[in-house]
Amino acid sequence: MSVFDSTSRSYVPAPTGHWLVAIAGYSVLIDKRAIQRNALLSVALLAISVLSLGMGTLSLAPYDVLLALLGKGDSMTQFVINELRLNRLLAGIFTGAAFSVAGCLMQTVARNRLATPGIIGIDNAAMAFAVASVVGVGVSFAPSAMALTGAATATALAFMIGGGSGTRGYRFIVAGLAIGSVSAAVSQLLLTQVHIDVANEAYPWTVGSLSGRPEEQIPVMGLITLIGVLSGLVLCYRFQLMAFSDSVITALGHTPNRLRFAAVVIAIVLTGFAVALAGPVGLVALVGPEMARAFARHKGLPLLSSAICGAIVMVLADLAGRTLFSPIEIPVGVITAIVGGPFLLWILIRKPKRSTL
Amino acid sequence: MPFLVQFFQRAPSQRPLSVCFTLICLILLTCILLSLLIGAGSVNISQSWQALIGQGTEEATFIIRELRFPRTLVALVVGMALGIAGALMQAVARNPLAEPGLLGVSAGASFAVAIALLLGASAATLAAGVAQIGALIGCFFVMAAARLQGQFKDPVRLILAGAALSSLLTALTSILLMYDQRAADEIRFWVTGSVAGRALDHLMAVMPYFVIAALLTLYVARPLASMALGEKVALGLGHNPRTIRYLVMLSVALLAGSATAIAGPIMFVGLVVPFAARALVGPDIRRTMIMCLPIGPLMIISADILTRIIAQPTEMPLGVLTAIIGAPVLMMIVRAKRLPTLA
Amino acid sequence: MSELSQAPLGTETITLKHADHTIIKDLSVTFPKGKVTAIVGPNGCGKSTLLNGLSRVHRPSSGHIILESKDIHTMPAKEVAKKLALLPQETSAPDGITVRELIRFGRHPHQSFLKQWGMDDRTAIEFALKAANLEDLGERLLDTLSGGQRQRAWIAMSVAQETPLLLLDEPTSALDLGHQIEVFELIRALSSQGKTIVMVVHDLAMAARYSDYLIAMKSGEIIAQGTPKEVIQPSILEELYGIQCDLLDDPSTGTPILINVRRSGAPVTAKTSAASKKAKCDMAFS
Repeated sequence: MSVFDSTSRSYVPAPTGHWLVAIAGYSVLIDKRAIQRNALLSVALLAISVLSLGMGTLSLAPYDVLLALLGKGDSMTQFVINELRLNRLLAGIFTGAAFSVAGCLMQTVARNRLATPGIIGIDNAAMAFAVASVVGVGVSFAPSAMALTGAATATALAFMIGGGSGTRGYRFIVAGLAIGSVSAAVSQLLLTQVHIDVANEAYPWTVGSLSGRPEEQIPVMGLITLIGVLSGLVLCYRFQLMAFSDSVITALGHTPNRLRFAAVVIAIVLTGFAVALAGPVGLVALVGPEMARAFARHKGLPLLSSAICGAIVMVLADLAGRTLFSPIEIPVGVITAIVGGPFLLWILIRKPKRSTL
Repeated sequence: MPFLVQFFQRAPSQRPLSVCFTLICLILLTCILLSLLIGAGSVNISQSWQALIGQGTEEATFIIRELRFPRTLVALVVGMALGIAGALMQAVARNPLAEPGLLGVSAGASFAVAIALLLGASAATLAAGVAQIGALIGCFFVMAAARLQGQFKDPVRLILAGAALSSLLTALTSILLMYDQRAADEIRFWVTGSVAGRALDHLMAVMPYFVIAALLTLYVARPLASMALGEKVALGLGHNPRTIRYLVMLSVALLAGSATAIAGPIMFVGLVVPFAARALVGPDIRRTMIMCLPIGPLMIISADILTRIIAQPTEMPLGVLTAIIGAPVLMMIVRAKRLPTLA
Repeated sequence: MSELSQAPLGTETITLKHADHTIIKDLSVTFPKGKVTAIVGPNGCGKSTLLNGLSRVHRPSSGHIILESKDIHTMPAKEVAKKLALLPQETSAPDGITVRELIRFGRHPHQSFLKQWGMDDRTAIEFALKAANLEDLGERLLDTLSGGQRQRAWIAMSVAQETPLLLLDEPTSALDLGHQIEVFELIRALSSQGKTIVMVVHDLAMAARYSDYLIAMKSGEIIAQGTPKEVIQPSILEELYGIQCDLLDDPSTGTPILINVRRSGAPVTAKTSAASKKAKCDMAFS
């Protein structure tokens, strides 16, 4: 595949498996397989979304769903779709994508596929801080700001205790596990200090739930996810170098710590906001990137595929939680734990590959 | 004092066991006394003291006899059980991070209890057997998972597998509880782990299991010490490593399951106690286990006293406090230059 | 300083530390332009640390590393990467990449998000493939190559970086004799194209045979430097490795060969001298 390069006035054959887009001295390579797979995944996400919008106590055909989305059809359907289910769906898509991209980035930084934010305690810490702001223990900022602070604190601690970079991935993970369990304990403690009704109300959120999320936060989450994913994609070109050792990264003209810092910051922001909105649904960050790697099968970091897969997982889990045991609604965090727990076990049990990632 | 300085200058494995044991027992006795004297309620220390020597008000005597005494006794037994269970599990897994709570044993017990409640049992009459079966299944599952790939000795993979199992079982438990409001109400006080409000009957109900476990532990202690030298050595000395392993697992399930049945899931005790014991008397499994006997109750009783003081006038859940104590110890173990594989 | 301004790469009284442990103290050295320089010395003498310092992997606690008369740490990382390539001793690559894809990573310093591919990239990669004699293996997965082929692929990645300077840390460790020669011949070929090459080599005989300039280090200090003939002297070797030996010239290449190697102070008997002669011959050719 080759494209006319307007500057050098000659044909530059692109590397195999890529399209070259070259305009006025700028050139961008596009992985054919990535495009194809991401298109497929997007179609799947779309189909699942429409399905999810149609399912529930009021069951609707996909056609009616689409009509309602376009502002047609009867007012009852429009209300259910646009006022109730759409917000929930969007919250699921945004947080799922955010968790998953954050997971993919952390795995890359730690050079270990187990080092996702949920496992290294970032979720729980963000949760503890957010709970603190809700139950009001002297400090009360917005939950998302607090969650962000919590996520950053936990990550900094994990890095400090875990002995720096990815070279000791496992030590980093255990440090994170410890931080996570302390944070979970603190959340519990805080909840025992408030009135039982408040605690009961907060319960679904503390295990991860998409039900009744504040409407005004959803566009904010959408924006954060978009910024996070886009900056990840722009930096992806450099982030893929993290698969090499530090000396190779240095030799190729990048500063390993700077790359890691950038990736971790994006991961923290995404996780912090997602936890503030949906609670600690951390196992999406493990399942999403894994699905993406298995399905996308392209070279480099599957960031975009991770985002789409994470959204798919989240929407599916929420759909299952809403419909499987209806009229009882199972929080999405519980569903992902049931799926993610065995998945984590499977990763641990199967033959370790030569590489850790 | 110079005696103590000299004592602690010795290498842990060189310290006389009797001295260590006596020291810890003295501290433990003090804690037991404090546990009887200190409370979150209205009865203050001097009133408690009066009651203790038989001259107190009726209220104080009641509180001490009916609330604080059973509570302290439960803490004593649960502490011993969890400490020994931790030491056994670490020895058989040869992994300093193996701990019943972290490996999903407690989550297994909780899950079994939730099922039992859902099927109509009441928390008050609940047989400890249910929790033990849950604990046993949890125990075997994680150990089997870890053995499959010969990752038995990889400290981190083992506890990650435990974390995965725990999160799965916790999620399943919460679904069960959502189904049944009554079960949820009954179990709520239980899931955070606490030694408060447990009657002596509860303790008596599980006592036979503790006795069986103690006998089993006595039986496996010697072969377990030889297994520390490697399975081949143990085989050469005439022990069957596989049998030993199963007996140890059984014993761990009995201990942890019964402890969980009366006190709920209390994390990290099985991690911290053997760690402290090893720091005091060195890595020999027999010495470690003997030291776990007083250190386990010491940790739980002192943590239990703290729960009454910290959040007055209410109480803090014990499980929360042990997690806050235990996590830094977990970090310390991992932070050590080389992850020690218990040889 | 005058010497330093001519040499493309050198150090000015650098001190390199691992934690609190000083490995190299106040070392100044320059590397001759267009030559192959080999750094030799016993284990733990600081030769790999020096190489890591030169390539910015290890930051010196004092002193300067001068690249084309500028302090390397004041230059933008990308600029340095266009002038100086490094092949570290331990290499790990992403899973499932082909030789050509590995080599493409070498183009990183010349690319950016909006300049991902151009004619120069393509020519550089083709050139690197040809130089390392890997033209037929371009589409093979890196994991499926032999040790020597894989090492050549990594060197090709550094070649694609198109730098005048190339640093190699024990490029032939863990390779058998045939593959070692394969790699060293590639290094010679690159040198003949005008590259300045600095490598850490464990094997003295190989260092003597394939380098133009030898630097002998011990305990973080340079004990001797010069042509292989100047450096490989019995007295220097005794100081370096604590051995005594005799020297011969290789009849075909003229490079020095060590014979009759023995521990310092050990009496020379017919037996030890025969045994050590055999041992050294084995060593020289293994």
